[in-house]
Amino acid sequence: MQFQKEVEILASREKVWQFIWDVDRFIACVPGCKDAKTVEDGKRYSAMMTEKVGPFKVEFPTTIEVLEREELTRIKARASGADNKIGSRMKIDLDVHLRELDNKTILSFTAGVDVLGKLAALGHGIIKRKADQVLDEFAQAVKKKLEGDA
Amino acid sequence: MLRRFRLEEPESVAQASELLGRFGDSAKIYAGGTELLLAMKEGLVQYERLINVKKLGLNQISAENGTIKIGALCTHHELELSPVIQQRLPSLLKLEQNVANVRVRQAGTIGGNLCFAEPHADPGTLLMALGAKMVAAQGSAKREIAAEDFFVDAYETSLAADEVLAEIVVPAPGANARSAYLKFGYLERPSVGVAVAFNLNGANVSDVRIAVGCAGPAPKRVAEAEALLSGKTKDEATRNLAQAGAIAGRAAQAISDLHGAQDYKEHIVGVLLKRTFQAAVS
Repeated sequence: MQFQKEVEILASREKVWQFIWDVDRFIACVPGCKDAKTVEDGKRYSAMMTEKVGPFKVEFPTTIEVLEREELTRIKARASGADNKIGSRMKIDLDVHLRELDNKTILSFTAGVDVLGKLAALGHGIIKRKADQVLDEFAQAVKKKLEGDA
Repeated sequence: MLRRFRLEEPESVAQASELLGRFGDSAKIYAGGTELLLAMKEGLVQYERLINVKKLGLNQISAENGTIKIGALCTHHELELSPVIQQRLPSLLKLEQNVANVRVRQAGTIGGNLCFAEPHADPGTLLMALGAKMVAAQGSAKREIAAEDFFVDAYETSLAADEVLAEIVVPAPGANARSAYLKFGYLERPSVGVAVAFNLNGANVSDVRIAVGCAGPAPKRVAEAEALLSGKTKDEATRNLAQAGAIAGRAAQAISDLHGAQDYKEHIVGVLLKRTFQAAVS
């Protein structure tokens, strides 16, 4: 499943870039994500991703690896995790871009989301819709947090 | 494999509600079990306690004070056999005769079907078109929830955590009332379901209610499509069906999945709306 999102933030590119690397504040913007830890600064992080569709709940202990980094411009990362209780795995390939537009920053990202295992029994459509909602909420939360600080 | 769980046997609906409140997410109401036990066996959900409501006598069907009351624990098969449903709600009868397969109809209950809110289920869509209300019990208190407010999202209803669906109340259709439900699919569960209900006075169509289900995350009423048919003659309404169908297709929030692509489902909604209207008229 491929998703593309873009959000316009009333803040400088430097400020948005700093925010992304402030793990605790950044992770707080990811719905259902908690217990973020830095394993290796700038390279590897861990967190617990939880999500819920009706009575179905998943808890993925997730590893986030930063694969590429271009200062103030781009981050490529991969998040992967498995819920052994339910027997499901997920993988998110994230490509984040920052560009300046007047006094604003355009934060755009593409996310390739794969969910495998029993959870897939819920149906592709339901999972896609949920993933889309989560990414929208995330983009809006980042905007709110940064503009709130301005 | 089904993991171990404790079976609670409340003696009243109020007690069942109290148990739900006490044990929260670790407990679930157990009715027919046709959806719940499957999900538990697959390991998709785990509960420490199941609250058995089968013995609470919630399987009565009666016609009183201009309404038809259906106990939430009626199985689909009991609805098929009920003289009240046969005489007063023929569209629901036909729907129930075609729910899933004979094994599901024997064990599955209408309340369980509504509460599980599986997107590809039939009854919610027709009940919405029929103007049904869900009676939810919380302790000894009760409240009514209109069908269009009951379904929130896929697998989600507006029931509070400690509410138990006790009864479904359908306004008794008058002499001029018409309704029908049709579905289409090529897998075990339907891809699209469409329900219409209206009054037909001579050639005049009024009080139209249209609901679309299965295509999207939850059944949905489509007021904009209703307005194109309501207050029109039968011929005018028939001419507007294509436009109403296109609106209903878009409103269905169709999802692309194994049951069909979004645009395909939207198209089928239009086709089914025409056929459902014609079936209800004839």
